[in-house]
Amino acid sequence: MGLLTNLKDSISRAAASLFSEEDPKRIGIYGPPNAGKTTLANRIARDWTGDAVGPESHVPHETRRARRKENVEIERDGKKVTIDIVDTPGVTTKVDYTEFLEHDMEKDDAVRRSREATEGVAEAMHWLREDVDGVIYVLDSSTDPFTQVNTMLIGIIESQDLPVLILANKIDLEDSSVQRIRNAYPQHETIPLSALEGDNMDEVYDKIAEYFG
Amino acid sequence: MPHQCTNCGRGFEDGSQEMLSGCPNCGGNKFQFRPEGADSSPPSEEPPEPPEPPGGNSTVAKTVGKTAATVRDIVGSDEPPAGAEPADTGDASGTVNAGSTDAEDAAQASARGDVVSPDELPDHAPEGDHQFDPPAADSAPSVEPPADDTQDRPDLQELREELNSQFESVKVLAPGQYELNLMELYDREEYIVALQEDGRYSIQVPEPIQE
Ligand SMILES: Nc1nc2c(ncn2[C@@H]2O[C@H](COP(=O)(O)OP(=O)(O)OP(=O)(O)O)[C@@H](O)[C@H]2O)c(=O)[nH]1
Ligand SMILES: [Mg+2]
Repeated sequence: MGLLTNLKDSISRAAASLFSEEDPKRIGIYGPPNAGKTTLANRIARDWTGDAVGPESHVPHETRRARRKENVEIERDGKKVTIDIVDTPGVTTKVDYTEFLEHDMEKDDAVRRSREATEGVAEAMHWLREDVDGVIYVLDSSTDPFTQVNTMLIGIIESQDLPVLILANKIDLEDSSVQRIRNAYPQHETIPLSALEGDNMDEVYDKIAEYFG
Repeated sequence: MPHQCTNCGRGFEDGSQEMLSGCPNCGGNKFQFRPEGADSSPPSEEPPEPPEPPGGNSTVAKTVGKTAATVRDIVGSDEPPAGAEPADTGDASGTVNAGSTDAEDAAQASARGDVVSPDELPDHAPEGDHQFDPPAADSAPSVEPPADDTQDRPDLQELREELNSQFESVKVLAPGQYELNLMELYDREEYIVALQEDGRYSIQVPEPIQE
């Protein structure tokens, strides 16, 4: 079985390079669709690696596959914290293609997007089960944070004892209310930011280093 | 090219390391195993003869497991017999037919093992072993079954309802309309990576990296 042996070798090598040295923690960026997860992931990746992670869009379920950016080195107070960030598809309990028709999409495309979005949620939930060491939970602070999805996901994260940082995104919007999020999840620290404008990213990086370093 | 990215279709040699860190083309992380000579159509097309010959190759595909993600179309006839699966080195309990007592797993194992013929479906056992076997093994995704064999098939709607009652992690309300049970999705050892309108699922069996 030369083939098998080769493959096993290459896997061990890949595993070795993946898990060697400081073993960066893998941080999942979770949250409902359209919260700004990819915008945040792109900002973090651009700030520290120069690359982007994936496309952002006002149409929900833009991210339908988890995307990883490995070895993101964040410098805080002269210390380096290395993490892998995983941008995940927005989690929801209902996916309906008719929602996409409003965004000028053909029915076929909308149905396909819907199917992929559903698969993406399955993938995101699976990653949460065993593949992340910490979670950045992104919420759009201009919307009601007290939803079934948020409560359930945060509950799961708590039950796994994963470190979690709640980000109140889109504070540049008029309807934004960070306090509403603090009230909904008082057991966790909530950091306000605008991933789009880059507001308050310093505090976000401080907290990332503190929680996941 | 025995492995193919399910997203962009890019092919990879057996044992290719590129796959391990995701598809260099599109970043996709799901790959389908295809033996040499199999056509390169996506999994939703007509299934070719067993893409994973029992034995060595299927183990290789599975070994790629967690890192590169092997897509296995769990339904239809393109699975190797269940007996070809275990047996390998410390085969983790994460595989669907690793003997879990969970009803879903048992059903999956059974579905992998044998294909129930369409006319057995309507009055087959009340629970457990045929829900992964929608008879539309040769239908294109998201279309009604071709007219010529409708009489052999239970109504799609019926099929859907049956699937729904067994697999509550994803309810297919209609093409493009889904309801998800997050707890169930989270609890699943394996996870759904491809949905088809006739209720077929492709699932990935995660496997811990050995050593
Ligand atoms: N005003 C404002 N808009 C933002 C901010 N962050 C993201 N957005 C916008 O919100 C929309 C959704 O952003 P994405 O980053 O694609 O959201 P996502 O959470 O990745 O969404 P899915 O991939 O669909 O789950 C886009 O139009 C972004 O430009 C922000 O801080 N302020
Ligand atoms: Mg996104």
